[in-house]
Amino acid sequence: MTMTPFEIEEELKKCVKCGACMAVCPIYRQTGREDMVARGKLNLIELIKGSKELPAGWLEAVDYCLLCCSCEENCSKGVKITEIIAAARVQQTEIMGLNPIKKGVFALLKNRIISISRFVKLGSFGQWLLWQRLPRHSGLVRRLPLPGIDEKTVIPALPKRNLDDLLRKQRAAAGLQPILFFPGCATRYLHPQMGLDLIFVLEKLGFNAIVPPEFKCCGMVTWGAGDESTSAKLKQANLKVLHENAGIKQLVTGCASCGHALKDYDGRPQNCEILDISEFLFQHREKLEDLLGKRKLRQKITYHDPCHLRKGQGVSKEPRWLLNLIAGENFIEMRHPERCCGAGGTFGITHKELSRKILKEKTLAADATGAGIVASGCPGCILQLTEGAVVAESDWQAEHPITLLANLLHQTEPEER
Amino acid sequence: MDKLIDPLARQLTARLKDAGFRSEQIVADKVLRTCYGYDATRQSSDPLLALLPENELQVQTILRLATEKNLKIFPRGAGSGMSGGAIPSADGIILSLTRMRRILEIDEDNMIATVEPGVVTGDLQEEVGKFGLFYPPDPASLAFSTIGGNVTENAGGPRAVKYGVTGNFVMGLEAYLINGEKITCGNKCIKSVSGYDLTSLLVGSEGTLAVITKILLKLLPAPETAKTSLLAFSSMTAAAHAVNAMFKYQINPSTIEFLDHHSINAVRSELPFALPEAADTVLLVEIDGPEAQVKNQSKKLNELFKNDALLLIDAKDESEREQLWLARRKLSPAIANIAPHKINEDIAVPLAAIPEVISNLEELSREINLPIVCFGHAGDGNIHVNVMLDKNDPDQAERGRKGIDKIFAITLEAGGTLSGEHGIGNTKSAYFDKEWDPVTIATMRAVKKAFDPDNRLNPGKIFPL
Ligand SMILES: Cc1cc2nc3c(=O)[nH]c(=O)nc-3n(C[C@H](O)[C@H](O)[C@H](O)COP(=O)(O)OP(=O)(O)OC[C@H]3O[C@@H](n4cnc5c(N)ncnc54)[C@H](O)[C@@H]3O)c2cc1C
Ligand code: SF4
Ligand code: SF4
Repeated sequence: MTMTPFEIEEELKKCVKCGACMAVCPIYRQTGREDMVARGKLNLIELIKGSKELPAGWLEAVDYCLLCCSCEENCSKGVKITEIIAAARVQQTEIMGLNPIKKGVFALLKNRIISISRFVKLGSFGQWLLWQRLPRHSGLVRRLPLPGIDEKTVIPALPKRNLDDLLRKQRAAAGLQPILFFPGCATRYLHPQMGLDLIFVLEKLGFNAIVPPEFKCCGMVTWGAGDESTSAKLKQANLKVLHENAGIKQLVTGCASCGHALKDYDGRPQNCEILDISEFLFQHREKLEDLLGKRKLRQKITYHDPCHLRKGQGVSKEPRWLLNLIAGENFIEMRHPERCCGAGGTFGITHKELSRKILKEKTLAADATGAGIVASGCPGCILQLTEGAVVAESDWQAEHPITLLANLLHQTEPEER
Repeated sequence: MDKLIDPLARQLTARLKDAGFRSEQIVADKVLRTCYGYDATRQSSDPLLALLPENELQVQTILRLATEKNLKIFPRGAGSGMSGGAIPSADGIILSLTRMRRILEIDEDNMIATVEPGVVTGDLQEEVGKFGLFYPPDPASLAFSTIGGNVTENAGGPRAVKYGVTGNFVMGLEAYLINGEKITCGNKCIKSVSGYDLTSLLVGSEGTLAVITKILLKLLPAPETAKTSLLAFSSMTAAAHAVNAMFKYQINPSTIEFLDHHSINAVRSELPFALPEAADTVLLVEIDGPEAQVKNQSKKLNELFKNDALLLIDAKDESEREQLWLARRKLSPAIANIAPHKINEDIAVPLAAIPEVISNLEELSREINLPIVCFGHAGDGNIHVNVMLDKNDPDQAERGRKGIDKIFAITLEAGGTLSGEHGIGNTKSAYFDKEWDPVTIATMRAVKKAFDPDNRLNPGKIFPL
């Protein structure tokens, strides 16, 4: 996954310093600082390539990146910018080690996955002491002053049972076609209901979702943080599962970042197609249209493109087709739906102030549509958008399109009038 | 720590912090300042430090401090310039205006926008669009270049045929002289002839006369609709006659772009429609305005060229329009496949001289044995000339250099100019005296001296050092 020094050097040569990345970089748009835009970061990486000493300014510039791929999508030279930045972060961890907080979290990911689930369950038990439910959103805000966390910071409500627990009790109906479902950590441990919604929709379409418990984290977060050894281990573990299930032709995920990571795995079984759930539903559009019949969402809805779906995987039409299907003319585009929400893996936590500024533009754009729901196919974006709605006291909720679809399918079809 | 910051830069930093600058407005770190040393020409030369003022008083503070210390100032927008205008020297301060990016007013009654120089052109267009208004200048870099940079380079784009270039929209300016004193030029009046027109003087001044801090821009009502057509002709001469005929028959396109046959061959295989083998020149024509008028003019266009054009396609909707424009958009990446490097110049010539200049460039291409690809704005005579070569091959590099001398000679011979939109900067200053006579240049230098007696504001640009 990580480029070799030679590949990086060749890639760096492709940049013609045109500056087009400035048009889209969320960090540059906020700061106006040229050391924080792709052109500047590439210049800095080139400047000290191979060096054993990493100057403070360099570290900061390499850190100030959401890995949102906006620059990449806009670069006429096709420079693989995020891969270069991730490789620079590997160089950084090799020389300086991992930041201690990230180190702790990633150790959980790398080692027996059970520890995450136990960690989450313990958290679920204790979180009510410090955190309280939000009236309208799924998520929690603090009860008491906590260091580094303001009263608008939203954390996910940790569920008592994770997706694996919930699935243990379920049994698939007979005669269904098997399909792999990669839930990803957020769906598995934080929003298991979303996983159930996705499985329900698959079932309605005649598919039995297989969720091997051996699937691990996709490795996107650790890759972005420069923790190469953890990412490589996670990838190997997931590849093993994929090869063991090589008879199954398709894999779906409802997480934009997982999809982006999985599609980039080298050495995955050639005959297994990896699809975002919106791509899969689009393949089965006729059947889904039949299933839905006259059921339609009555609320105004808008859509935020997850960066790792639109720019990472080039998927932007299918989610819109889906929203048109479930909401018809109640689906309204916001201005610049493609702009990043500012979450960016751990960026929202480590650079809260800047992340909030980026988020504010997004919430303003969502507010302007008058929508009651902001849909987005990524658990990370959903959490960030929810925080945006809390901060701006906006009147909408962030939801995954699959949740909306499942809810509609649960409703009885309206009578002909 | 001292290794990372120059002692002088450290001193200036302390003074500026005392004056209220925040850390993120000062880039003094020796590593980070390298990000302010280049522009789209890929030259590079690191400044002493880069400063990012947030208002005009901070600009003034910087200019006064620089005057006290006898330092040079290099104004900078987005650093997307194609002639090296924003390239600093080691004893100079980069004055980056990207944090002065407020749209101060959109005056709907007078149809004028007042903006700070760091506003990105595309952002302004989007904002005025919300009021049904239109800011036409459309350099290809509009999504990232700044209005300040557009004004000082007098940037233009395809729409220049009908609407003109940036300068045609600048009603007035506020600017600071190198010593920190402020001047005001122009106003909101359409007719305004009181005194010298300093606004026009600062337009296209390439950051050498004053630092612009506020800009008044004329706006127009947004056109109701636009229609795009693609026409193919058997020769450049036939295409040039066609452009002339359009004007004569009162078809008033907003855009007339051309692609020569090298360009056509480079993109042909990537187009969603078939271009006839015999096509030598392609014109992309866009007509905008009220619905009825556009329809009418488009009909005229079809009647006029149904026999002469080898191919005439009208875009029926947005997606077809996008397909026609693909020919132009695919061009830059496509010609990159011809050779690893290109030297590109943006000469401009009188309309009638286009066919002759193109044919002379063909001959030059044979002479230096390097491909020369031409495309650009047929409606205003601005031609992008690209000499394709491998710069790592010393022989090719030498032939390329000779080629550039000849290109300028051909251009000036035809009554043209060295630059239609990118400016002289430091990349073309060596040729400046080929275009202008000594007395004219001396007069220009006298103007420079009146504004900047010590040559501390963007030295080395336009005039050779
Ligand atoms: C991909 C690409 C496409 C382009 N297409 C076009 C095109 O179609 N048409 C066109 O005309 N140009 C084009 N350009 C060139 C360039 O974008 C323009 O010249 C643009 O106007 C430069 O704006 P900037 O903000 O990047 O200015 P910079 O490059 O930062 O600066 C340009 C000059 O302006 C001065 N300057 C900037 N701001 C101020 C200020 N506030 N006060 C005083 N001086 C100032 C600088 O000192 C410098 O001399 C293109 C460039 C690229 C990379
Ligand atoms: S858009 Fe691509 S080529 Fe242009 S400066 Fe940015 S990274 Fe370099
Ligand atoms: S990935 Fe996103 S944040 Fe990082 S440099 Fe590119 S545009 Fe900026």
